[in-house]
Amino acid sequence: MAAAATVKPTKERLLNVLDDLEVLSRELIEMLALSRSQKLPQPGEDTQILELLVQRDREFQDLMEVAQRQGKVHQEMQQLEKEVEKRDSDIQQLQKQLKEAEHILATAVYQAKEKLKSIERARKGSISSEELIKYAHRISASNAVCAPLNWLPGDPRRPYPTDLEMRSGVLGHMANLPTNGVNGHLPGDALAAGRLPDVLTPHYPWQSSELSAGMLPPHHAGDFGLEPPGHNKENEDDVEAMSTDSSSSSSDSD
Amino acid sequence: MAVSQPKQDKEGEECSLLPLVHDIIKCMDKESPDVHQELGKLKAKIQEAREQISAMPGIESSPVEQQQQLATLREQVRTKNQLLQKYKSLCMFDVPKAS
Repeated sequence: MAAAATVKPTKERLLNVLDDLEVLSRELIEMLALSRSQKLPQPGEDTQILELLVQRDREFQDLMEVAQRQGKVHQEMQQLEKEVEKRDSDIQQLQKQLKEAEHILATAVYQAKEKLKSIERARKGSISSEELIKYAHRISASNAVCAPLNWLPGDPRRPYPTDLEMRSGVLGHMANLPTNGVNGHLPGDALAAGRLPDVLTPHYPWQSSELSAGMLPPHHAGDFGLEPPGHNKENEDDVEAMSTDSSSSSSDSD
Repeated sequence: MAVSQPKQDKEGEECSLLPLVHDIIKCMDKESPDVHQELGKLKAKIQEAREQISAMPGIESSPVEQQQQLATLREQVRTKNQLLQKYKSLCMFDVPKAS
């Protein structure tokens, strides 16, 4: 009974006790009225009802006190609920900021990884400056980029790669390819500008072989093929004459 | 406390229906015509008590259940406070000084 009373909501208990009070008071008044009209005293029954009424009234007052205490607790709970809502909004705000930070950090990490990859690539294909200077000297010494100061037509020292150098280069390895239209000429515009096509640049260790081979445009594959030994002398002279232009630059073939 | 105790007694007395029942019995003993008026007062008092009970906050649950809900709410506030304090004290963006 006590356990059931503690489980029942206070409101329900209050209303039940109030109903009991109403019924008991009505019964008591009716009984008294009846006893007065009939002039027959019924001492036992009305006393019993009166005791029940007093007991229920005391119970009702106790429950009202409990209800008032519960009202105060309810106020405290409302304050706590407001506090919980405030904390929830703070946590959500913080979560939003953390998400933004995560996004920024993820972007930074991605960029850093990309940079590390490029650093690793550069490290694998590293070349010392001394070696670069050595190659620069070799190119210059063979008159591959600039004619000697005292060069005259007929001088075998040429300001561009010689046959031997061409054979030892990438194009020399491509000699087995079809050589349609091979005439030993370089494109006139390239020579006039003092530039050599990329395919004629020396193959250095820091250049990957795939890259060098892939640099040859398809429509120039035959044009820039290795010129056969004993090629047209007249064409060669033309090329020599054009290559002695003092404006030729070696910047692109470095 | 000494002030609140009489007030509580007064509230308790206000809730009691016995004084009204007593007045009715007295009127009946005296065979006074005011008995109907007193009966009306009792009915009004009971109706007023019903309305008061319906309007009282926080009595939809038993005191035990309410205490459990209160404890849960306190625990929630405590946990959320701890979480916020933890995040605020992380100092996650402090750059360590190079030694």
